[in-house]
Formats: sequence, C-alpha cells, structure tokens
Amino acid sequence: MNTTLPQKDDFWSVPVFDSERALSRVHQKQELLKRVIDIFIKSLSERIDIIENEICNENWDKLETMAHSIKGSSWTIGAQQLGDIAYAMEKAASNEDMTLLVHLFQIFKEASKRFIEYEKEMRF
Amino acid sequence: MNKQKIRFLIVEDDEMIRLIHKDFLKDLYPESEIIEAENGAQGICHYFESHPNIILLDMMMPIMGGEAFLDILEEGHNSNILKDKPKIIVVTAIKDVKELMSIGKRFAVEAVISKPLVQNQLKSLLEDWIS
Repeated sequence: MNTTLPQKDDFWSVPVFDSERALSRVHQKQELLKRVIDIFIKSLSERIDIIENEICNENWDKLETMAHSIKGSSWTIGAQQLGDIAYAMEKAASNEDMTLLVHLFQIFKEASKRFIEYEKEMRF
Repeated sequence: MNKQKIRFLIVEDDEMIRLIHKDFLKDLYPESEIIEAENGAQGICHYFESHPNIILLDMMMPIMGGEAFLDILEEGHNSNILKDKPKIIVVTAIKDVKELMSIGKRFAVEAVISKPLVQNQLKSLLEDWIS
C-alpha cells in the first residue's frame, strides 16, 4: 500500500477546464457543449453519491468502473483536473487501496466544486 | 455499405458521450439510423432487433460490459444464430496496452480507439467502409 499520499497541488496544476479542447470535441458547437456540460454536472453529483455508498460497501469493482467512467467523460469534455483525479482513483480501486481511494475522493469532491464554480463563471 | 441505409448502434453507459457520438454520426451520415444502448445487455437486445452494421462499443459499463457483449455476439455467430458480422469499433478509456491489444483481437472488433475520442480517427475509419 502507499506511503506518500498525493496532495491537492499535484492535481491543481492542471487546468480545471480546457474550453478549447472541449469545443473541439463537439466540433465547435457551443449549444451542444452546454448540453454536454449540463449532463456532466448532473452526473457528477450522482456519481459522488454512488462512490460514497460503494466505499462503505468496499465494492471494488463498482468503484473502479465508476472512476473509469468519470475519467473518460471528464477528459472528453476537457475537465482535465477531474479526469486526472478519477484516473488515480481508478488505479487505487484496482489496487484495493482504501486509504488512497478515500483520500483521492476528498480531493475529487473539492475539484468537482471547483469545476462547477468555474463553469458557472465561464458560462458562454 | 450504403450510407443511406447505414445503421449504427452506440453501446455506452455515459449519456454525455452517447450524445457526442450521436451528434457526430448524424453530421456525417444524416440519413443513418442511430440506436443507443446504456450497457451491454441493452446492446444485445438492440442488436437482435435492429441488426446494426456498425457498433461503437465502450468496454467498462455497469450491468454488462463490452467483454460480455462481445462474448455473446461471438457465441451467436459461432452457433449460426447470427448470420451477419457487424463491424465493431471499441471506444475505451482503458490505458493498459496489453488489454487494448487483446480487445483488438476479439470477434468483429475492427478498431480500438482511445477516449477521449479523436473524431477524425473515427471519421477516416467510417469513410473506408461507407460509400
């Protein structure tokens, strides 16, 4: 198991949201991007609830699948920071490292709030 | 494959990614039919109902993942229940190279593309198949 836990700053150096990348994923369609981000934000809170439950159940398969899924959707819409944390969570779940997973999950929740606030400010 | 009759099946648990795939495919092939499934189990049902020509398949999904989906299609094909062999493009966030290579060898899998999907990769693949 791990000895040194990653810190927030390890992830904070990556952009919260890369709007250029996000727009390129949807062929520069701003309306589509708005819809996509709305779906993403809605799914974030649902996924956080699921992860919280599955941590209690130590359901490693579900935790790995959920982190994997968040990683894919985050990177797709340019939410780099969330994607990177989710990737680290996926690996922690795969290694069944609860200490690391819970630690990363706390960082993930904070990063989710940062993303939502950033997105509100940047609403285009 | 004739683009006016083309039928796509998107098997992907993430609603957001389904929406992006669907929009992209509709832009490329406006007359195509696009069917969506949230997991492998739904995907199998839609496959038997609609016989899609091309499938975009995610691997890690709740309820039934891409591996099981491929197992069932392969079994159906081997036992002659399924006559047509679809073209399957796996779109996955899996990063392990060995795992990706083994997926690439699976039944009907023509290509494995990493998430986040670079749509030009998908476009050039489709253009090779669809006239």
